[in-house]
Amino acid sequence: MIKISNIYKSFEEKDVLKNISKEFRKGETNLIIGRSGSGKTVLLKSIVGLLEVDSGHIFYDDRNFTSMNLKMRKKLRQEMGMVFQGGALFDSLTVEENIRFPLDMFSRLSPGEKQKQVDFCLDRVNINDAHKKFPSEISGGMQKRVAIARAIVLNPKYLFCDEPNSGLDPETSILIDDLIHQITVDLQITTIINTHDMNSVMEIGDNILFISEGEMCWEGNRQEILSTENQKLQEFVFANKQYQKIRDDKMNE
Amino acid sequence: MNIFNQTGRYFALLLKVFSRPERHSLYIRQTFNEIENLGIQSVGIVVIISVFMGGIMTLQVAYNMINPLLPTTLIGLGNRDSLILEFSSTIMGLIMAGKIGANITAEIGSMKVTEQIDSLEIMGVNSAGYLILPKIIAVVLIFPMLYILSVFFGILGGLIVGPAVGAVSAPDYLAGIQFAFNPYYVTFSLIKCLVFGFLIASVSAFFGYTVEGGAFDVGTASTRAVVNTNILILVSDLILTQLLL
Repeated sequence: MIKISNIYKSFEEKDVLKNISKEFRKGETNLIIGRSGSGKTVLLKSIVGLLEVDSGHIFYDDRNFTSMNLKMRKKLRQEMGMVFQGGALFDSLTVEENIRFPLDMFSRLSPGEKQKQVDFCLDRVNINDAHKKFPSEISGGMQKRVAIARAIVLNPKYLFCDEPNSGLDPETSILIDDLIHQITVDLQITTIINTHDMNSVMEIGDNILFISEGEMCWEGNRQEILSTENQKLQEFVFANKQYQKIRDDKMNE
Repeated sequence: MNIFNQTGRYFALLLKVFSRPERHSLYIRQTFNEIENLGIQSVGIVVIISVFMGGIMTLQVAYNMINPLLPTTLIGLGNRDSLILEFSSTIMGLIMAGKIGANITAEIGSMKVTEQIDSLEIMGVNSAGYLILPKIIAVVLIFPMLYILSVFFGILGGLIVGPAVGAVSAPDYLAGIQFAFNPYYVTFSLIKCLVFGFLIASVSAFFGYTVEGGAFDVGTASTRAVVNTNILILVSDLILTQLLL
């Protein structure tokens, strides 16, 4: 479980996050949604410590991340996995080496055991024939899957995904969403996903936080989102006419 | 103010670079990779530049020796000392700042803008240490070797060009390069190479590591890295020459 309370973050004079509090539950896909520029990525990067919050607290299972020193944070980060928007795979390493990298850095496993774990993770994300390829030689969807495999190779307790579907076709997006959801449930980890893709929201949104202009506007789940009365959320969700139709159909029933 | 800010950030980064590595074996492996990428792959350009530099120096010394009383052995001596003292260290340093330095800035800068550095940080890896320390060690180790190679090929260049154009005979040239040799000049230049190597790797890495934005900004950072490294090489050359010679 990850809990954030009263998070504030500003850049120079601009307030980007204003008093955000939320509990992200274990074994569920927790979504942070909002328009581009609403502060989603800043919030996610603040939660993982890539950005320092101005005030507020972040707890990882009752461990106060904001009050930890660098050494303690580094240790805690070994329990985290993150999938970045562009995949962020290391260009100079093959798919297999990318996934093995965290193991080489932090585990005491033998080379054989490491290989087994790499194969297991690649199998988990349905990649069987790209072990020796470089990231530039595989598709965007495959890169995302490799990034997921790398993120879970150390059996993390917390998984973060920043716009995992950006730049992917709808079919691959659904595959990635399902994969993340499956991993979250199977490994019972706390997953936080940043997205503005409504398909993802409706597909895997167990616990959703909607932010607008840095403020927390709404929270709920995918069932509740279509019947929301929140004006800003309605504008966000029903910008897509398909969802307007789904809502209207639901209301007519 | 900006220069103080940049200097402060540079030293703060160095502090991070020289903190304890997470896994020594990985850092060592990375250092050997960098020796190959940055050092071995620079051998070709060093050889080509040095041969031409030595040849041109020989011609210029010969051209300027209009006094018939001066022995032609001085041509070899002039070429040797110029190469040992300045050309193979400082000029090669300036050239390497362009080749190795720009490479380092572009590589680290690209990693920064594509979030690969954030990805390392999230794993709990000291990204500055893992990416920069092996490069610094590799360049500091390889640069003195490139210097020695440069001196050798520079002298060889003079030996090829001098007799070929009739500026000096081969025996006179060979006698010249052995005349009044002061081994301290080599020691002095090797010290300079260590300093230049450190500056090339660390300053270029700093500009790459602190880049913000996209591909255009990486290009700008590479240019700034080369310009700043060149200035620092010349300033440190001046200081070291005053202190050590």
